[in-house]
Amino acid sequence: MKTIALYSIKGGVGKTASAVNLAYLSSLTAPPTLICDLDPQGASSFYFRIVADKKYSSKKFLKGNKKIYNNIKGTDFDNLDLLPADFSYRNLDLELQEEKKPQKKLKSNIQELNTEYPYIFFDCPPNLTLLSESVFAASDVILVPLIPTTLSLRTFGQLLEFFKENKLDTGKIRGFFTMFERRKAMHRQIVEEYGGKKRFLSQIIPYNSEVEKMGIYRAPLNAVRPHAPAALAYKMLWEELMHEIA
Amino acid sequence: MITHLVPVVFSISEVFDIERITENPDISFSFEAQPQKKEPLHLYDTFDWRAWNKNTAIILSRNQLNLIDIDNGKKVSSVGFRRTPQSFFPEEIPDDKTRSSLQAFSKPRAFLRYGTVSTLSQSMRVLDRNMKTVATIEIRSILPSFAQEQEQKRFITLTPVKGFHKEFEKLTRHILTTPSYAEKSTYRNFFIALLDAISCEPGINASKAPVKLHPDNTILDSARELLLSTLAVIHANETWIPKNIDTEFLHDYRVAIRRTRSILARLQGILPPEELLTYKQAFRELGRRTNDLRDQDVYLLEADRFRELLPPAMRNSLNLFFTDLRNRHKKELRSFSRHIASEKHKRFLQEWESFLRSDPPSDPDRTPEARRITSDVAVASIRKAWKKVLRHGRTTSPEATDTELHALRLDCKKLRYLLEFYSSLFPRKTLRQVVRQLKNLQDNLGLFVDLSVQQDYLTTYLSSLERGEEVLPLAASIGGLVTALHHKREAVRKEFHHRFEKFDRTETETMFNELFKPYRQP
Repeated sequence: MKTIALYSIKGGVGKTASAVNLAYLSSLTAPPTLICDLDPQGASSFYFRIVADKKYSSKKFLKGNKKIYNNIKGTDFDNLDLLPADFSYRNLDLELQEEKKPQKKLKSNIQELNTEYPYIFFDCPPNLTLLSESVFAASDVILVPLIPTTLSLRTFGQLLEFFKENKLDTGKIRGFFTMFERRKAMHRQIVEEYGGKKRFLSQIIPYNSEVEKMGIYRAPLNAVRPHAPAALAYKMLWEELMHEIA
Repeated sequence: MITHLVPVVFSISEVFDIERITENPDISFSFEAQPQKKEPLHLYDTFDWRAWNKNTAIILSRNQLNLIDIDNGKKVSSVGFRRTPQSFFPEEIPDDKTRSSLQAFSKPRAFLRYGTVSTLSQSMRVLDRNMKTVATIEIRSILPSFAQEQEQKRFITLTPVKGFHKEFEKLTRHILTTPSYAEKSTYRNFFIALLDAISCEPGINASKAPVKLHPDNTILDSARELLLSTLAVIHANETWIPKNIDTEFLHDYRVAIRRTRSILARLQGILPPEELLTYKQAFRELGRRTNDLRDQDVYLLEADRFRELLPPAMRNSLNLFFTDLRNRHKKELRSFSRHIASEKHKRFLQEWESFLRSDPPSDPDRTPEARRITSDVAVASIRKAWKKVLRHGRTTSPEATDTELHALRLDCKKLRYLLEFYSSLFPRKTLRQVVRQLKNLQDNLGLFVDLSVQQDYLTTYLSSLERGEEVLPLAASIGGLVTALHHKREAVRKEFHHRFEKFDRTETETMFNELFKPYRQP
């Protein structure tokens, strides 16, 4: 089992779109795939039209394995399952503090899913909290979408700094550029500077209004518009990532 | 930990109306119907129904090869498959999971297309308030073929989506309680309806199972039962041999003939002598007709191993030999197929069958042994054959000559067949131990004889080559092959005495006596 987190301190950089599309691609190449929506806003759950059961909550999530397993839902796509987020996830951080080893919690909670899913994706909320630390420990790869702006790069630097200070494995971190617009000089300049660097994937996701329409389609872009420029880019990104993981 | 997504199958009658289900105001789901389409389902299994025997349906449809658990209708595996071949082998399947499942049913055998069922299929998605699919419904009508005048069979399959179990249960209840003429059925019923549509009866060829004999029946009755069962194998394989799908058909066919002959050899005084002689000769002749074909099959199967026996530089020149072999095989197969299709051959098998089925006049002069009871004959003939193996084995010279080993191999084979014929009379566990002991010896002898036959064949082939420079590389390769086979054979020969000693032990004797124990005279 490989676990991949879509993570960024900053919001609105394309975490959910990336998680949904990459998980969909993974379900085609290495079925079945699970996507865990960890964001109380529940955007990826929304994309798949899935609402958590009324009885499901952050408390059940923290109980782990069996409780998690029973709440996994099949999406409308073969071999792609989702663990929906619940609004109570906003309390996850507080609740994690009461646990004995909060950083290791997520890792042990999903252990039993090991045999069933070759790939698990985490769609993370945008902040740097105890939950994020738990995600860092549970993930084999931490994918960080970045809009080619100075502000995005700054948060990427902050993340690396945090890893170093806490003696975490920075080798897990991979940045990649999203919402790239060729007509913008700064985008071009940043991509050129960081494109081939260590800890960066070379594939870039272009700005594509089709990505925003995912909220209307309520399905992965790669499933409904596989030839859209962004969909093609996600496909290349997934291949690059698979190559690196394998 | 895996929760099974087990579909529920309903059978529905002609008057079934889906709208009663979808337009019932009591249900909080909406239904999104996909257009109805014609969908042919291609059904595959091995010749001897190995997948069916392991409760698995193999269905190719919509370019997907699906393995489905017949007990619950759950898809075991699925792989893209863009053809609808007459037959395929497991190793052609790229997907690991599907391939290994198929190989677990049968490694050497081809999967054959038993038939294609035309169906009409209409899918429907069941949606909740968020327009999320919570289950799928499929209404499938099996279209009768023109020959049949039966009513159209129709089934509904309700397939759950993970995590929506409550909705699924609600839907199942809904379908059952709505007066829509739907009745709960099973996937097995659906699959049997598919087989019915192509007039297939599964398991019909699976006659390899040992015949169950009764120890107190007369040997005449038991022998007839055994011969009828081998005849069924002969019949079943004759349909497939001409199609040249896999070599196992011919192999099974030959085994059935050899068994028939081996039983006949033991029926002196049990069947009338004239008939016995006629049929013995006829089956020997039938077996002989397949000899060349089987040899060619074996060489073609062993092609890779033959190549590997030679140094790489000499391998390519063997291609000529194999091409030649393939051409001969083609010719031979055509000729043999003509034979089994001939009136003469068909009449022969018919006569044989009616001979077996009719009661011969009881004539104590011509058939004095016919009324002996089966267990007596079984024990006596097994004991005799076993002693013969021991006698011949013990007198084999230290050099173990070709003649000695050839003869001993036949003795062992006879003993083995007897053990198989009468297997239903003996305790399973002891029998298995005895057979294991014998098999160990047989493997050695079998390999020895195979290597001898191969050498002879190649030597004959070599002398049949026309002289000329262009055949030199081929001749050199064949020569190399003969040498390599010779070395292997000598190694096998050296091993013989050791193997025989392992068979000729008190332990084996105890096992045989244990085998006969239930029938020991007081």
